[in-house]
Amino acid sequence: MTKQSLSWLLALAIIICLPLSGCYDAKEIDEEVYALVIGVDEGVQNKIRLTFQYATYKEGGGKAQGGGGNGGDEESGEVDGTIVATIEASSLLEGINLINATVNRQISLMHAKMLVFSEEYAREGVAKYVEPLVRFREVREFMRIVVCKGKAEDFIKENRSFIGSNPAKNIELIFEQSKNTGYFPDVFFSDFYQDLLTPYGQPTAIYAGVNDLTQMASDVGTGEPPLRTEEDYEPGSIPRKGGTKKELSGTAVFDGDRMVGTLSQRETRFFLMGIGEFKRGFFTLEDPNIPGYIYVLEIRLAGEPKLKARFANAIPVIDLELSLDINIISIQSRKHYEKLANIPKLETEVKLHFEKGLRETIEKTQTEWNADIFHFGRKIAGNFGTIEELEAYNWNRHYQEAKVNVKVNTHLRRSGFLFEAAPVHSSTTEGEQKE
Amino acid sequence: MIREGHFGFYEAFSLMTIVLITKLFYTSPMVIIKSLGTAAWYGTLISCGITLVFFALLFSLMARFPQQDLYQIFEAVTGKIVGKILILIFAVYLLYKAGITLAEFIAVLNVYSMPYTPQSVLVFAFLLLVVAMAYVGLEGIARVAYVFFYPIIGSLFLLLLLAIPNYDYCYLTPLLGHGLLRTMETGVIRSAAYGEIVFLAVIINSIHGLKNFKKVGFITVISAGVIFSLCLSCILAAFQYTVGGEHLSGMYQLSRIIYFSRFLQRVESIFLFIWVITSLITVSFAFYLALSSYCRAFKIQNHRPLLLPFSTLVFVLALYPDNIAEIIEVHVKVLRAYSSLILMFIPIMVLIMALIRGKKGEKANDQAKP
Repeated sequence: MTKQSLSWLLALAIIICLPLSGCYDAKEIDEEVYALVIGVDEGVQNKIRLTFQYATYKEGGGKAQGGGGNGGDEESGEVDGTIVATIEASSLLEGINLINATVNRQISLMHAKMLVFSEEYAREGVAKYVEPLVRFREVREFMRIVVCKGKAEDFIKENRSFIGSNPAKNIELIFEQSKNTGYFPDVFFSDFYQDLLTPYGQPTAIYAGVNDLTQMASDVGTGEPPLRTEEDYEPGSIPRKGGTKKELSGTAVFDGDRMVGTLSQRETRFFLMGIGEFKRGFFTLEDPNIPGYIYVLEIRLAGEPKLKARFANAIPVIDLELSLDINIISIQSRKHYEKLANIPKLETEVKLHFEKGLRETIEKTQTEWNADIFHFGRKIAGNFGTIEELEAYNWNRHYQEAKVNVKVNTHLRRSGFLFEAAPVHSSTTEGEQKE
Repeated sequence: MIREGHFGFYEAFSLMTIVLITKLFYTSPMVIIKSLGTAAWYGTLISCGITLVFFALLFSLMARFPQQDLYQIFEAVTGKIVGKILILIFAVYLLYKAGITLAEFIAVLNVYSMPYTPQSVLVFAFLLLVVAMAYVGLEGIARVAYVFFYPIIGSLFLLLLLAIPNYDYCYLTPLLGHGLLRTMETGVIRSAAYGEIVFLAVIINSIHGLKNFKKVGFITVISAGVIFSLCLSCILAAFQYTVGGEHLSGMYQLSRIIYFSRFLQRVESIFLFIWVITSLITVSFAFYLALSSYCRAFKIQNHRPLLLPFSTLVFVLALYPDNIAEIIEVHVKVLRAYSSLILMFIPIMVLIMALIRGKKGEKANDQAKP
């Protein structure tokens, strides 16, 4: 290769490098500000009221947090290292543009973690607000969909964490709690949108609310407190004190793009088991042998639920079978339920409990809303030859007619650190027969 | 005649497979899923089957004229003038294919990755590389294809594997999609999507003749069919036929939903890599063949002086469509649904003419004599 052709080649390579470096779309990280949460409420002066929570890149939001302070500033909207700004606009993306006019950096949705709809708005239909986000390149599929009781604006103002200083991480971690408790589903934006369009079932969203921390009764009780193992709590009504005010608890159920009802945190666990999304959770059951005593079990889903669907006399029949692994965490009575001879009885009790819970949850979705949030329709679809036949049948209309058979297999695996726990001895202990 | 160099089975296989599967990364999956619904994954296998039948016919044509490429056969069977017209039709088609493939690539790139970069800048930058590849020639393009074949296929399968948690194969039901008849019809029409295999007959002398031609052709079409079918079934299993039929680039979207934890997500950069490289190889191949066909028609010995005028034409063609709807609804439709009129119909007509006129190549005539 001659010197001349080599220099031409080098010149060409340099010229090629220039346009390929993506100058037009290049953005420095700190040229943008990342919206973490987007809230949608009904507007007063315009169609929608949008609330954005975005990071400030400052430790603690740049405000000194005095003792007893709430870590924020009402006027500037500072909330624990973030700014919460609210604006009214005709559309969601225009709202971002309007906010941009007030911020010295461009707001980007690349790291948006949560889209919050107020319940009132969700009941009117959300498709028109979801659609522009699906088309918009900045929106990530992993953003979560939340429906909150009350205003989305109020919920976002309470979206703070007292642990750690990274607001983005804190928001991501709160959704991880779905895996640890099963009290709410972890609904991604992409799944929600897909479920809006699907003929196989109906969408769900995370149900949330703000707890004013006044739900707990006064410390002075009257007599023996009752044992409530099957308590249902709506978000915002869990009796507690301290911590953040936001609560994710339960499932918002949709029929098409309209919210039609909710599952409690207890029903949500059964729902998650039914769709194979339940990871683990503690369950407190009353000891049938000693009323007033409880045992606590850690339940895990063992594999994917088995689902079969067929038509019998033109009625859709669904067979749902799932297996649960049980770990004993606590036996208040210290009875030896973990012993080989006692395991079948315990397994049967747990099996019946979960079969009943699952059946009731499915029946609720059938009778109250006719909304197949379990997506049994994906198995029913196999009974149809063509898409036209499936769509003409409209599974979402016929879901309420389906007969759903539920079978739960339970397997006790472990019993914690103890095996055959010894009884407590005191001066009043009477001799007990060996089991 | 341009000296196009020689390369072996693996280079030819890599080149043709990449050329065939490139459309998978653009709007093709969306169009097929919209048209066939849940039957898309085997609808493409029907197209693949039709192409295999076509390739068998093409092979019988090539076998009648050993040591001659398709263009020489055109001239031998239809005469010099008609033969040259047929070669020019191929040249124009290839030029159009290069331009529209580039337009589609740039349009999708604009949507997903570089929204603010002007199309002309992207087309210009891309064309610089295409011209560099075409300057080196066919052998160079084939060897580049071979070098990148394993990374491309490896990344593609890695992407499909990483997306496994999102699949639910129940979404492939109802099995018949929009009906068997519609699937068959569309399958037959869209066999044009595999029609580029005909270009193997144009470059037959670079791949060491008939034996390699047959091997490369059949294996490439079958491999591309399997890859297409697998990718379509994964898109359907992840997005269902409803959403799968709306995503501009189903494969890119698949890469966007890969999520294992807070730490393993946003892996679409893997996809960008294979997307750009496959597009580059495909456009370079079409561009080079367009040039080479033109040179053959007018007996031009050196293709390099034509690089600038041809790249200008591709630049204009790539920027010609006004909007993405025009690209999808007009140009891509012409390329992937109706181009079989050129890619398949012409060689088959030439085969029929050769049979009727009893024309054979010299060597074949020699073998036929006692």
